[in-house]
Amino acid sequence: MTPVAGVILRAEMRAWRNRLLKAEPLRLAALVVLLLLGGMLFGGGALGAGIGLSAFVPAARGPALEGSFVGLGVLMLLFGFPTVISSYFAGRDLMQLVIAPIARSDIFVARTTTAISANLLVAGVLLAFVAGVGIGSRTGPVYYALALAMVAVQLVAVTAFQLLLMAAILRFVPARLARDVSVALVGVGGALVYLAWNLSVRQTLVPGHRPDPSKLISAVRGFEWVPTAWPGHTMGAVLAGDVGGTLGWTALTTVAALALAGAGALLYERTLLAGLGLLGGPSAGWRRTRRVERGPRGGISSPALAIAWKDFLSYRRDLKRISRVLPALIFLVAYTFVLARPTSGIDPFWNDVMIVTFASTLAALAIATPAIPSERRAYQLLRMAPITEGQVMAAKVLPILPLCLLPMAIAVALATTGRVGLAGTLGLSGLALWLAVGATAIGVSGGAIDPRFESTDDRRAVGVAGSLAAALGLIGFAICSVGAFALFRLGSDSLRGVVEFSFLPATPGTSLAATVIAVCLTAGAAAIVIGLFVVGRNRLRAVEGSIGSV
Amino acid sequence: MSQTQPPAVEARDLVKRYGATLAVGGVSFSVESGEIFGFLGANGAGKTTTLRMLCGLVTPSAGRAMVCGYDVVTQAMEAKAALGYLDEEPFVHPFLTGREFLDYIADLYRMPRGSERRERMEKLLGAFELADRHGELIGTYSHGMKQKIGLASLLIREPRVLLLDEPTNGLDPRSARLVKDVLEELAARGVAILLSTHILEVAEALCRRIAIMDRGRIVATGSMEQLRAAAGTAQASLEDLFLRLTGGPESKDLVDRLLDRPRP
Repeated sequence: MTPVAGVILRAEMRAWRNRLLKAEPLRLAALVVLLLLGGMLFGGGALGAGIGLSAFVPAARGPALEGSFVGLGVLMLLFGFPTVISSYFAGRDLMQLVIAPIARSDIFVARTTTAISANLLVAGVLLAFVAGVGIGSRTGPVYYALALAMVAVQLVAVTAFQLLLMAAILRFVPARLARDVSVALVGVGGALVYLAWNLSVRQTLVPGHRPDPSKLISAVRGFEWVPTAWPGHTMGAVLAGDVGGTLGWTALTTVAALALAGAGALLYERTLLAGLGLLGGPSAGWRRTRRVERGPRGGISSPALAIAWKDFLSYRRDLKRISRVLPALIFLVAYTFVLARPTSGIDPFWNDVMIVTFASTLAALAIATPAIPSERRAYQLLRMAPITEGQVMAAKVLPILPLCLLPMAIAVALATTGRVGLAGTLGLSGLALWLAVGATAIGVSGGAIDPRFESTDDRRAVGVAGSLAAALGLIGFAICSVGAFALFRLGSDSLRGVVEFSFLPATPGTSLAATVIAVCLTAGAAAIVIGLFVVGRNRLRAVEGSIGSV
Repeated sequence: MSQTQPPAVEARDLVKRYGATLAVGGVSFSVESGEIFGFLGANGAGKTTTLRMLCGLVTPSAGRAMVCGYDVVTQAMEAKAALGYLDEEPFVHPFLTGREFLDYIADLYRMPRGSERRERMEKLLGAFELADRHGELIGTYSHGMKQKIGLASLLIREPRVLLLDEPTNGLDPRSARLVKDVLEELAARGVAILLSTHILEVAEALCRRIAIMDRGRIVATGSMEQLRAAAGTAQASLEDLFLRLTGGPESKDLVDRLLDRPRP
């Protein structure tokens, strides 16, 4: 490392040290505990999985190593991409380095060490798994030394690939959009990869049958040629005692990683200024987008509708927000389709009830909770306008509701294919609407309870208290709502003399009792929604800390 | 018998504390309808905090803030409907176009829709040279353009009280002149304007009365003549008065220290 790169790195480390020293002790302790728990859970889990797989399914060692390098490589690509982009292309400190008489290669070396930080976490899990396979195979120390080297090589290769990807995007998209486009692409790609993996696991784990690992192995065989699988081949060759194979794969993997890193360094020197937005965009058309502007709309002047319309326009135009919402929506819609085929033994009606409950909860958590803090500085406009906090929150529910209703509408549409009958479809539609409205209101309230207006990322726009309140509220609301729905159905069936449970007689008394409890549960669900709404409104009324400073 | 009109803006012993830090320590003043009132002070003197207390963005630790006779805390809706506040860094929506933003603000304040509102919007966009920015998002605007759209969003709804924090900051000379002319015209029509600025020429030219803040307190209030009398000098410029009233070392002394020149 050159002296200049060392100077930059020392400054970075000092900044990190200062950030840690300035952090609240409680927050710092929570972070340490979280890291330790995460390390134990993910690292320990990966180690255990490696040991178990190697000891009990020796035939799967090779494919498992290749699959783990590919899978965790993809995870690194997705998880670490924002860090790589921000390390290489963002920050005012980077601007200072650019105007200083420093070689770009020095900046590259210095920033690489921070860029790999997020990938390093995933690499730790990968190392634990590879080490676990080694322990399960009772192999020698050469394996562990090479494992460490191969994981490091994978780390360099993936980071360089991320840099190349960003440089390629910068060729077509201006800097101010490139980061969001990259994150959106990676997010959508990640969602699709996860779904593909999920489907392959679903094929392997058929309920009522023994898991069939050969299906997983055959799935891995389909992509064993990809470069991210090469370190896995190296480790497989060590386990097999194949010296020639080990040397060959090691050389190939190292050369590929070095080539990627070299190409990354070269391209970085060429794209750094464009990435910082200093050279403008690649096409003038991007810079001045001609939008078809609608004239002022007719009708009554309503603050609630104005907020909803503004949110709709912002959602449509804010690539960053779309990049956060799109993967969640893909998951929701895809899961709805996947889960709509109930496995044997599950009643199609209750399967659909489960889908709409799951969809409403997930949609509310992903989309509704950041609704209030996503206003950022412009929330001050709402505070100054003659409208109440309650009106603002109600207005926020409006534009999000269609997004939350989408997967539920699909579930209900699938239910109308004749599996649950007309009465079932009507009941399900009512439940879906109730859950969508309630869950969206709870999500918005969670965001209002602990908003972080200063956050530039929707995923960090709600504090721990708000996220916790929303999550607990959603669970309580879902349990009460589905419980009430089931009891209403039980009451109706009992009245018609249909026996649902052998231990419960189908009498008018049972019907009455079930209906009374159902009404109480419905009231409980409504109380959760209203209670959180009121708490959110009051917290929003008192909010001044974070918004006062922005 | 005619009732006396309350002052358009009234601060009564306004205090704001952030933990142990006293940001504003008991500020009192009033602004009448049709008056442009200047608010001067060094960085961190407490001007922005005072303005934010007056428009309800920051809750006072003690004291009262009144707008058109309405308490900003207890009669928030009435007070908010009467005032418009422009922050030094205007609050705007980056993903709306200028026209959409004005439409949004007009709806928030329940301005009736129709041709009158549309004409007013076009007139403002034209006056601030934003009309040809058709389809461009506010996020891509320069600081000066954001300032202009922020001002336009206040003027579209004609509030009775305007609180302006550095309104000419970042504006080109033509736009700065336009803003000054608009403010004088609004004052002539009876709008009360509280103007916080660093640009002493603007304050001197526009303001009937001026308050000078220092370390969270108002150290002097009055017309230029009254301030001169308070400072005990008949010919001093506002800059001299400001420096004298807010204390601190002489600028020559500072330059000497900065450039390591031996002091005589």
